[in-house]
Amino acid sequence: MEIPYYDKERPDTGLYNGKAGIWLFLASEVMLFGALFSAYVLLRVGAEPGTWSMGLMNQWVGAFNTLILIASSATIVMAWVCLKLNDWKGFRKWKWATVIFAFTFLVVKWSYEWPAKFTHYDVTFVTDQSASKVYTDVLGPEFSETQSEIWQKRFDPLKKDQGSNPAAQVKLKDKPLDGHIVGYIDSNGAEHKVGAAWGMPFWSHAFAWRHDRKNIEKEKDKSIRYDKDGRPVYKEGHFRDTFRDRDIKAIIFAPAHGTWDRNEKQASSGAVKYAEAKHDAGHAHSDGHGHTITIAREDISRLSSYEPAHSTFFATYYTLTGLHALHVLGGILVMLYHLLPVSRRVYEKNPVQYTNRIEITGLFWHFVDLVWIFLFPILYLL
Amino acid sequence: MSDDHSPEYYKKKFIPLIYLVGGILIAGTIITFAADKMGIAERWGFVNATIFAMSVAVVKASAVIYIFMHLKWDIKLKTISITLGSTVIFFIGMMCLTVGSEIDSNKPGHEDNTWNHVEQSDPKTVPDDK
Repeated sequence: MEIPYYDKERPDTGLYNGKAGIWLFLASEVMLFGALFSAYVLLRVGAEPGTWSMGLMNQWVGAFNTLILIASSATIVMAWVCLKLNDWKGFRKWKWATVIFAFTFLVVKWSYEWPAKFTHYDVTFVTDQSASKVYTDVLGPEFSETQSEIWQKRFDPLKKDQGSNPAAQVKLKDKPLDGHIVGYIDSNGAEHKVGAAWGMPFWSHAFAWRHDRKNIEKEKDKSIRYDKDGRPVYKEGHFRDTFRDRDIKAIIFAPAHGTWDRNEKQASSGAVKYAEAKHDAGHAHSDGHGHTITIAREDISRLSSYEPAHSTFFATYYTLTGLHALHVLGGILVMLYHLLPVSRRVYEKNPVQYTNRIEITGLFWHFVDLVWIFLFPILYLL
Repeated sequence: MSDDHSPEYYKKKFIPLIYLVGGILIAGTIITFAADKMGIAERWGFVNATIFAMSVAVVKASAVIYIFMHLKWDIKLKTISITLGSTVIFFIGMMCLTVGSEIDSNKPGHEDNTWNHVEQSDPKTVPDDK
C-alpha cells in the first residue's frame, strides 16, 4: 500500500508528510528553547550585582562560531540546490563542507571554550581583611581602583546600573579573584604541582577543586569514610570538599585575565590549555602566569571552577549552549548518514525522496542556526 | 512541490539569493559585534542596546526563515504560520491587559479600590433571595 503524500504535497498544507512533520517538530523546539530563553532573560534582568559574570565570555570565539554556523547554513542550501539540479558531485562537496563547518563549531565549543572555563577558578574570601591581604599581594597596596575596574568589566560589562555604583554594593570578600590553580600545599607543608596531582592533568585542573564554607557548615555528620583506594565515600548530607578530602592547607594560585597590573607582566587573556599543566615550570613562563600567590584554606570562603554549579549564569549558559551543541551533533550524524553509500542507492532509486530528506535535514539545520543567531547576542554581548 | 523551480531559476535567481542571505547574516553579525565593541550599551543604555541587538537578530532570522527555509515559496505554510503567529500575539496581548492591570494595583503604596463600590452600596438595596 502506498503511503499518501509520501513525496507529493498535501492539497491543504502544501507540504509532503516529512516536511509537515519537521515543521511540527521545529514548533516544539521553539517552545523548548523559548522557555529556556525566557528563563535566561528573567534571571539576567533580576540578577543581583556581582552575580552575572558574563564579562568572562570570549566574544571573539563566539563571533567566530557564529560565522561558522552561518557558513554551514549557506552550504547546506547549496547542497540541496545541487540535488535539484541533479548534480550529485556538487551535492557531496557542499554537504561535506557543511559537516566540516559543524564539526569545527563543536571542536571550538567542546575542546577549547568549555575546557578553558572548567580549568578557570574563582576564589572568594572569608573576611574583607583576608581579601584585602590577597589583593594587596596581587595588585599592590592601592588595589582598590584597579580591582573595581576589573570587577565592573566582568560583572557589569554594559554598566546597566551606571550611577548606582553596583561595585560598591558588593563587599570586598565577595568579589572573586579569578585564575588557575597551579599547585597546593599539603598538611605537612610539602608543595605539589597540580598537574601531577591526581593522574590526568586536565582533571587535576578541571572540576577537581571545590570548596564552599557554607556546605561544610551545613553538614550534620562530618565523618567521611574512605574506600580502599583512599577516595572519600559520600553519603547523604556530605558535600565534596577538596581541602578536607585531600587534607590540603593552601593553594598556589595564578591570577589571570588582566588581574595583574598592566605595567607588569600581564596574565594571558586566554585560558590556560590543560595540556600545559603537565609542565608547570615551563607553563609559568609561556602563558604569562609568571606570578603566583599562596592562599590559605582558612581565608577561602568559596573555590569553584566555571562549571554549571558556579553560578546561575554558568548554569544557564551550559544548559543553553549544551542543548544547542547536542542539536549540532545530531545534525552532523544525520548529514554523515546522507553521505554514506547507502544514501547514494536511495538517491538512484528515488531522487525526489532523497532530495526531500536533504531538504528536511536542511530545515533542521537552519533552525539550529536560528537558535545560535539569538544565543550569540544574549550570552556573549548583552 | 511548492518550492520546485526550473533549473534556470535555481541557477540565475536562487543561488544569488543564497549569497544575498549569507551576506545579510555576516553583515548582521559584524554590525552587532562592532556595536558591542564600540560600547553602544554605555552610550544608548542597556534597554536600547538590547532592542538594537534583538532587531538585528530578528532581521537575520527572518532572512533564514524566508529564503533558506523556503517559506517564501511555501504559500500555504506561510498562511498557516502567520495565522498561528497572530493567535500567539493576540494571546500575549490579552495576557498583558489582564496581568498588567493586576501589576498596577499591586504596587507598594497603591490603594486597591477595585471593590469599593460594592462595600459602599447600601445592603438594604440588595434584593433578598428569601
